[in-house]
Amino acid sequence: MTTWRAQLRRSLTISWSEVLVLLVLAALTALGLGVAVVRFMRGLGATTSMTDAYPWGIWISFDVFVVPFSAGAFTLAAVVYLLNDERYHVLVPPVVLAGLLGYAMVCAVLLADLGLPHRFYNIIAFLNPESFMFEISWCVMLYTIVLLLEFSPVILERLGWEGPHRLVRSFTIVFVSAGIILSSLHQSSLGSMWLLLQAKLHALWWTPILPLLFLLTAVAGGLCMVIFVSVLAAKAFHRPVRTHLLANLGRAVAGFLVLYGLLKLLDLVVAGELGLLFTGSTLSLLFWAEILLGIVLPVTILSQPKLRETCSGLLWGSIAGLLGLALNRGNVSMFAIWRPRGTIYTPHWMEVAILVGAVAAAVLVFALAARLLPMMLGPAGAEEHGA
Amino acid sequence: MTKTMLIDTTRCTACRGCQIACKQWNDLPAEKTINQGTYQNPFRLSAYTWTLVQMREVQHQGQFYWSFLKRQCMHCLHPACVSACPVGAMHQTPTGPVLYNDARCIGCRYCMTACPFRMPRFEWDKRLGHIRKCHFCFDRQAEGLEPACVKTCAAGALEFGEREEMIALAEARLRARPERYLQHVYGKEEGGGTNVLILSVLPFEYLGLPTLSGKPLPELEDTLAPFEYLGVPTLGTEPVTQLNDDLARYGTPSIAVGVAAILAGMQWYGRRRAQAKEPAAPVPAAKEPKP
Repeated sequence: MTTWRAQLRRSLTISWSEVLVLLVLAALTALGLGVAVVRFMRGLGATTSMTDAYPWGIWISFDVFVVPFSAGAFTLAAVVYLLNDERYHVLVPPVVLAGLLGYAMVCAVLLADLGLPHRFYNIIAFLNPESFMFEISWCVMLYTIVLLLEFSPVILERLGWEGPHRLVRSFTIVFVSAGIILSSLHQSSLGSMWLLLQAKLHALWWTPILPLLFLLTAVAGGLCMVIFVSVLAAKAFHRPVRTHLLANLGRAVAGFLVLYGLLKLLDLVVAGELGLLFTGSTLSLLFWAEILLGIVLPVTILSQPKLRETCSGLLWGSIAGLLGLALNRGNVSMFAIWRPRGTIYTPHWMEVAILVGAVAAAVLVFALAARLLPMMLGPAGAEEHGA
Repeated sequence: MTKTMLIDTTRCTACRGCQIACKQWNDLPAEKTINQGTYQNPFRLSAYTWTLVQMREVQHQGQFYWSFLKRQCMHCLHPACVSACPVGAMHQTPTGPVLYNDARCIGCRYCMTACPFRMPRFEWDKRLGHIRKCHFCFDRQAEGLEPACVKTCAAGALEFGEREEMIALAEARLRARPERYLQHVYGKEEGGGTNVLILSVLPFEYLGLPTLSGKPLPELEDTLAPFEYLGVPTLGTEPVTQLNDDLARYGTPSIAVGVAAILAGMQWYGRRRAQAKEPAAPVPAAKEPKP
């Protein structure tokens, strides 16, 4: 009991600089919430730049990026629980929390994006199984619950609730498996969603294997997120960076990205669309940027043991991978879609404010959790070890 | 069988009586418009303007054309919006009209993104906006009447009837006056077929419609601001919804089952590996630098 108290006291001593950061995050969250109220009061037209030519704006692009970003939780869970590799166990709680917060952001932003948000429950009441939007929304809901369950042991342990803790633990393998199945469906269906746009999505991006490409990039991007979150959390909360473990994941990222790049190339060859790469149009340049940033750069960094064994190599490799992922999702969901001549979309400041608020809220919750649930990040100051 | 409308752009005089008839029958408000340098008015379709005579000035093979095309929902035989809608708010009646159920919609606007013709429009000006588009006057059709726009068309540019009859009529016109028409019935095959057929003297790329070839014409530059995108979208003859529907029907369950099988395999492998390591258990796991 005394250790519990001591731990709590230690977790409540806080430096002024940290207070300042938390206050800024809280202020941004409050601003986002305030703007969200305005959005629900006044409707989409008054508070966003979306039009009939751009029925989806940055909110959707944000969602289709954050979902594969959050895939770190399921890829890591697969490694730990299913390959029975306990060494990676220390990485799990912060990554699962980051995934959970990612999905929470997506839920919040999706709700703001709905034209008739008060009817969101229709997604449960009326089903159209041929719609990938239906599959996506169900996966978002169910997987958020699964992530909550996956993270709950940390909270239950903290509260000292032995019974529920043991109960949840005994079902770990069940909901971890459910999470992996749901994630596979969810990540691939985010790609399937664009198959209906065969006419409108530029041929450099539209391909019948979009679901597979989205799943592959989600696995690679998710592992990048594991590295990114682990390094940042270790740095911010004074824990050792587990370079060896993360380097192994980095090597896997490079492998998946090479596979992805080859598939993409093969797809263009089979479709006879290689010529599109060299038209010099803005879209072809965007494609090249995506390849360089999202494949070439991270593979270069993460395939070299000398670079991936260092903290900065891991960080920059994963950041490049995530930026490439973001550009890919932005291209598919925004830039490469055919629009009528002369229409333009520049996000409204309120759209941006809501996104910033969502991200700030997620970072705030993560920071508070790191304080109040210190075991989440593993013992402070412990040496790196392989077991 | 489905009901179909035939639009003969060579007969259209751009009187825009169809626009007025549509507004009257559906009680749609007038919109405040601004001069965009063309007679096309309002400038674009919206939640309150479901049909619009699109006007384009085109030079083709050394000749000047002022082309008029009545734009509206194409009422596809295989509508992308219906496959897209997660709650089944978009649906198709057996006789053709693609309809929208106000009470089911959640406002996700996937139908707008999916439609190759960009026909569903959203009520952006409302706090709780719905999707709006031409409903083919399904209410009039139910009473055996033609759509309001067809009824009002004075130039004979619009015809309405069974799909087979309309295709036959269109092809008869192509044969009777070959010099007057491009020899193609738009909508007979595009995207698996539509219940709005179009005849034109100009290649359909000029009209801004997604075409089978999708060939960018030298004079045409549809820009994707701020990124260029030459030509118009390409639409095959296979139903636009085919791949999506097949994947949803067979792909989703296969992925779920396949992943479950892989998981079981991984677990078995993991357990085997753990058992193999068992004898060495007392030895504290040493650092394992990867090769």
